[in-house]
Amino acid sequence: MIAEQWRRLLAASATAVLAATLSACGGSAATAAPSAVALTFYYPVAVPGPITQLIDGYISKFEQQNPGITVKPVLSGGYPDTLTKIETTIKGGGTPPDVAVMLSTDLYSLVDSNAIQPLDSQIAAAGGNNYLNGFYPAFLANSRYQGHVWSLPFQRSTPVLYYNRDMFQAAGLDPTKGPANYQEMVADAQKLTKPDGSTWGIEISSDGIPYWLFQSFVIGNGANVVGSAPNQVSFDTPQVVSALQDFADLSAKYHVMPSGILQWANMPNDFVAGKAAMIWHSSGSLANILKQAKFNVGVSYTVGEQGFGAPTGGGNLYMLKGIPADHQAAAWKFIQFMSSNDIQADWSMHTGYIAASPAAYQTAAMKAYLAKTPQASVAPDGIEYAKAELAAHDNAQVQKFLGDAVQAVLTGKSDPSSALRSAQQQATQLLSAFKN
Amino acid sequence: MSSSLASPSSSVPRGAAVGRLSLRLHRFRLLDASGVLVLAIVAIGWAVPLIWAMAVSVHSPDEPITASNLWWGSKPTLSNYAQAFQIAPFAQYYVNTILIVAGILVVQLVTISLAGYAFARYPFRGQNLLFFLILLQLMVPSSALIVPNYSTIRQLHLFDTLVAVMLPYFGSAFGVFLMRQTFKTVPRDLDDAARVDGANWLQTLWHVYIPPARPAMVAFALSSISFHWNDFLWPLVVTNSTNSRPLTVGLAVFTQLGEIGAQWPLVTAGTLIVVGPLLILFLVFQRQFIESFLHSGLK
Repeated sequence: MIAEQWRRLLAASATAVLAATLSACGGSAATAAPSAVALTFYYPVAVPGPITQLIDGYISKFEQQNPGITVKPVLSGGYPDTLTKIETTIKGGGTPPDVAVMLSTDLYSLVDSNAIQPLDSQIAAAGGNNYLNGFYPAFLANSRYQGHVWSLPFQRSTPVLYYNRDMFQAAGLDPTKGPANYQEMVADAQKLTKPDGSTWGIEISSDGIPYWLFQSFVIGNGANVVGSAPNQVSFDTPQVVSALQDFADLSAKYHVMPSGILQWANMPNDFVAGKAAMIWHSSGSLANILKQAKFNVGVSYTVGEQGFGAPTGGGNLYMLKGIPADHQAAAWKFIQFMSSNDIQADWSMHTGYIAASPAAYQTAAMKAYLAKTPQASVAPDGIEYAKAELAAHDNAQVQKFLGDAVQAVLTGKSDPSSALRSAQQQATQLLSAFKN
Repeated sequence: MSSSLASPSSSVPRGAAVGRLSLRLHRFRLLDASGVLVLAIVAIGWAVPLIWAMAVSVHSPDEPITASNLWWGSKPTLSNYAQAFQIAPFAQYYVNTILIVAGILVVQLVTISLAGYAFARYPFRGQNLLFFLILLQLMVPSSALIVPNYSTIRQLHLFDTLVAVMLPYFGSAFGVFLMRQTFKTVPRDLDDAARVDGANWLQTLWHVYIPPARPAMVAFALSSISFHWNDFLWPLVVTNSTNSRPLTVGLAVFTQLGEIGAQWPLVTAGTLIVVGPLLILFLVFQRQFIESFLHSGLK
């Protein structure tokens, strides 16, 4: 009896495995149409919403405009997963995707592992510098290396300052504009902080990728942590030290921010719940904040002592190395299409990313959207204050050195100058293995 | 355990329901009050995240989650589930996950019982070395094997198939170890008796060794199912199409939202969709699972 059950179970599962094999084989055979160039496109997901449907829609539009090219979109998890998937494919001797979206700061790691190819000849054919000048210069700040251009912007963002206009009004502050520099931000925050602890003047996250928001302080001080070459960083200059002092002073000296490490994921929630009158967060959080906030939301720029300043963030389109010549031509068409004005405008409206070029903001659809959501025009207007995000060889490790220094100071374990000096030493030692 | 329960149940009036009640009372007495308290705290600690996830999954996405509004909010809604199902093709992913998990388990049960039997009852030259090597495999993290495994899958032309997801797990060092230990506890005499009766090795395995090993197999099946149900990186690396991807890849659409703050209602709805069947499976078969663990432990 029991033996009978086992036998039946075995038979059923053997059939299932066989069926799975057959259906999987059938699937791959059906997609390959003769004489068409079949591209593969890897993309990560970093914002909510029907991302896969949007991408599928753009691809079907592209395929209509370019008969003879098909594109297979492959969701590849988050940014780190995408990198793992591609590195595994290359190391395992497989065929990488033709086009992939990866962090703009992955550039040097990707070049070091010989994974990507430059886009110079294609850009030259498309108009050279004239073509490149169509994009926001800040979004190309992490694209150039060794005299080549390696990527074009696709899903880009910057940190912005969100503020509660109703609370500004109640505190006697001008609700039409945010603070213009660090000193103003502290003064505003002091008026906005309630003594009973129900509302903090400002909340700035220092977990996840602490170096990113910290870069806003540094760039607002007229400096940056990025070195003059990808084997150099600039972590311990006086402007960087004073930026970290400013960050720590918000809680330790001025008591306008909760002390300790504030969670990145909780900031928008604290803001819409009225727990924080101002927060620094990704421009990509705008749609969600507007949806949840029961008050007037103002958007302004992150600041340092000398005024506005922010790093860029997000992912670019890369062409992978070792794909056939006909694929290269088709892949370039696809990269151009995905960074074009209409697609960038639509992508920006649905996700909150900043479109890649000023011209995308002149499209009819975008103008209609901005008329309804004026806050969405703040981030693109502020791109002129944006500088390169921290990128170097062995990037994850270098970013961690700086992030650890930031956290050590915010938790009171170290002082800015010694924490940054040791981060600089660690990074210099690590990067000494690279020639340029 | 049964002998200690016999005396109180015999002193009360007969009847199934009453018998069961007294049995429960007796168990309660066995655990003193402080023990119950500790157990309750542990149980609540385990349950709270799940209960919170259920509550938040019906929290309206337009409403902020605050200290005073931490649970289902003022207007509970199922829209998060609707949105989750819209964002990812969960129906297809369910089918794939079930095929992957069941496929791996069935092959594993065959390979581990055969290998365990060989190691337990067939002495051969180099047996200890081979067994040692198999155990050594337990120390190798599976992430270190992704590149060679991928390379094998590619050379077999299995990339982007369900078989590719399953293949590296068809053998199990843990399973072989577990079966070997279990089979070693079966008395030799039973084996000899079966042989005298004319059973060949397969019949002996089937009729003598497998039946007492079933609790161990159930325990192994549980750990295998929960591991492969949750596996993410390997399926992500080795598949490209909806047709061959499991639930966890669908869940990634919700959990990888690094750019903006966490969308707790959506994340919890997606998570519950993914873990739901496993949870129900465990609740339904809870008694069997616990009994099998007890049996395999008592042996």
